[in-house]
Amino acid sequence: MDTVFRALADPTRRSLLDELFRRDGQTLSALERRLPMTRFGVMKHLRVLEEAGLVKTRRRGREKLHFLNPVPIRLVHDRWVSKYAEPWAATLSGLKKTIEEEA
Amino acid sequence: MNEGKRPWTASPDDKVFEIYIKTTPERLWEAITDPEMRAKYSFGVETSSDWTPGSSYSSSVPAAGIEIAAGENREVDPPRRLVQSFRALWSEDVKAEGTSRVTWEIEQVEDSCRLTVTHDQLRPGANGELYGGWPMILSGLKTLLETGEHLTTPGSLRYSGASEAA
Repeated sequence: MDTVFRALADPTRRSLLDELFRRDGQTLSALERRLPMTRFGVMKHLRVLEEAGLVKTRRRGREKLHFLNPVPIRLVHDRWVSKYAEPWAATLSGLKKTIEEEA
Repeated sequence: MNEGKRPWTASPDDKVFEIYIKTTPERLWEAITDPEMRAKYSFGVETSSDWTPGSSYSSSVPAAGIEIAAGENREVDPPRRLVQSFRALWSEDVKAEGTSRVTWEIEQVEDSCRLTVTHDQLRPGANGELYGGWPMILSGLKTLLETGEHLTTPGSLRYSGASEAA
């Protein structure tokens, strides 16, 4: 989980993930065109995302395609975020029910 | 990733899901193919098949009378690899997407397994519902195998109450 948080801590890496969320399976050249940074910079950030398991690569002929793996983010949600977020969701849905019953 | 085993080339329309689970390939295979275990982390959806190569499978919530998916087991190589055709059936919208393919690959990595689920042969711009459930399913599978417990985050129990309600 630490590597995931570290990977997500950088705004450029988050925008790379957003870019793959928008359009999955992009090449390095395509990603480089979408972001205001050098090829080397994009490669460096992609490597951190790959090490965290957030990006997986697959070959298509001579091209390497980059795919978003959303599973680690789901794991962070299920094992850590949800315990903070869910009591609120439960309270709000309980509140909605109470209001509707009174109305 | 041992790409040599994949007889096909990647497409930008593929969806790739990877998770590490502390278990053996044999237990992981069982959790994928055993109807009761499968239902525990698949929103309560039961999947039944005899898991022989070329056999068919179907996924449903019998108590609620909901058909979820169906297809064929094109390759069955326990406990390493399962290739299935996939037809979603839970709504008219997803039925219109036709047949895609789901490949499960299990590789042992030290005391854990790397499970990769590739959902491909999708239509460009395919309905996100077709593959959107995989992260929650795989997270629940990890919880089940590592702790023996059910994942109880909202949504993960979507259909599991159906049998009690019926």
